[in-house]
Amino acid sequence: MKKTLVSLSIALACGASFSATADLRINGFASVYAGQATNDKQKVYGYDDDATFSNESKFAVQISADLTEGLTATSQVIARGSDDYNAEFEWAYITYHIDDSSQVNAGKMRIPFYKYSDYLDVGYAYRWVRPPQSVYGLSFSTYEGASYLRTDTLGDWDSSLQLLYGNLSEDIIAYTYADPAEMKSIWGINWTMSRDWFSARAAYLVADVSIDELNSAPLSQLIAGLNNYGLSNEASKLQTNEDSGYFLGVGFSIDYNDILVDAEYTELEVDDSVLAPQEQFFVSVGYRIGSVTIHSTYEENQDKHKASRFDTVPLTINHPQLGTIPVTTDPTNPNAPTLRALTNAALNGVHVDTSTWSVGMRYDFHPSAAFKLDYSSLDNNVTNTRTGVVTAGVDVVF
Amino acid sequence: MKLLYGLLFASMTAAADVSVIVHPSNANAVDASTIEKIYTGKVKTFADGSKATPVRLSEGNPVSEEFNTKALNKSASQLKAYWSKLIFTGKGTPPKEIDSDAEMLKLVATNPDHIGFVASGSVTGDVKVVFSF
Repeated sequence: MKKTLVSLSIALACGASFSATADLRINGFASVYAGQATNDKQKVYGYDDDATFSNESKFAVQISADLTEGLTATSQVIARGSDDYNAEFEWAYITYHIDDSSQVNAGKMRIPFYKYSDYLDVGYAYRWVRPPQSVYGLSFSTYEGASYLRTDTLGDWDSSLQLLYGNLSEDIIAYTYADPAEMKSIWGINWTMSRDWFSARAAYLVADVSIDELNSAPLSQLIAGLNNYGLSNEASKLQTNEDSGYFLGVGFSIDYNDILVDAEYTELEVDDSVLAPQEQFFVSVGYRIGSVTIHSTYEENQDKHKASRFDTVPLTINHPQLGTIPVTTDPTNPNAPTLRALTNAALNGVHVDTSTWSVGMRYDFHPSAAFKLDYSSLDNNVTNTRTGVVTAGVDVVF
Repeated sequence: MKLLYGLLFASMTAAADVSVIVHPSNANAVDASTIEKIYTGKVKTFADGSKATPVRLSEGNPVSEEFNTKALNKSASQLKAYWSKLIFTGKGTPPKEIDSDAEMLKLVATNPDHIGFVASGSVTGDVKVVFSF
């Protein structure tokens, strides 16, 4: 509550001081969604088998102030239903237009992992209720730093090149639903080329990643256990402590007559951590009939460790005084689980293999609003379970 | 009756034709592709390198819809989705909206860097027509 008041008062204060001297623009967007999962045992996109409204609903206001001489200050405050509609600054940055084709942004901004990253929350900007989550499922989306954006016309092609540098520090979903994480020295480049009805995009980012395993008792105990036996190398291969990570994304979009095609493939890996290398993609087609768009999407997500990561913890070690002792949770108990088995289980525990089909429709029933209805069916190929989720709602921009 | 029919006919033909206008001093050649680029924020200058400031008639105006379809090949919703992608990332600002043909004519006639559009029937000698859809 306090945070909301502070945000609001800062926003008001900024608005009040800018408006006297600068050209102020206010834009906003909102989404109101209700959804329900078909399986009573599995939550999907935060929905269970009771219809809920707050999960993906949100309300955002953006204020931009043109400060003349090419300088613009922008802040976006967003209140999410999943966070009890507590308002937070999602973006807060300053833009300096170097010339007509290049600009520098500095502050808190979206990390441009994906084609739809920049307007991830602006439901009105795309046809789905949510961008395909197998690919767009990362639990963090903003960073603090600077970016350089350059747009050019190369013959008939429009080129947009972005370079970025920054840091991130927030709680993310990794081992549990809220793990303190840090990404330092994030470097990134992304390039989009578009022409008429076609556009292609590639992105590559690297960072030093640290995720605290404090909240996950099984993982932190396993790491402590390995260290007790002097197996610090094995322990550090489970910890995510300033390990280098990379993200690669490629994709294309077609909007030809009324036919829409989108596809994206992404890879994500953090070296020497319990997190498995990830590969995911989606392919989506859509068709516009007047103010109605129908669409269907297929997605896959694979997170899996290489075979060479398993069985690296020794079954016994030689102790100077005690001789050969078993590496287990309890050396005095012959039936205690070995740390090798527990390490293998931890590496196996992050194995993800899902495939998802979705169908949906978007109806532009008002110049500023769209009604959407999506149905997704998720197959978990590790647990052999299937869950459906239906979501309906309205996106507006103003 | 004849007069009423004539007026109706005139207004219908006027709505079906959109003229893109600039300041009389603007000597640049402006083709359909340039108009599309200026109105979608991809290009911010005229051919001679001088600043191009697009202005448009407000949403819901039939001439505006005609322009969206013919010049930008987008419906009002598609155009709004396009701009919302740029607005919320600080990458672009949509053209300023003007309420009437008369205001548009006045604005373009007094600002050498402006480019606008009106129903072809309302064009006056104070502005220069560079393209018609």
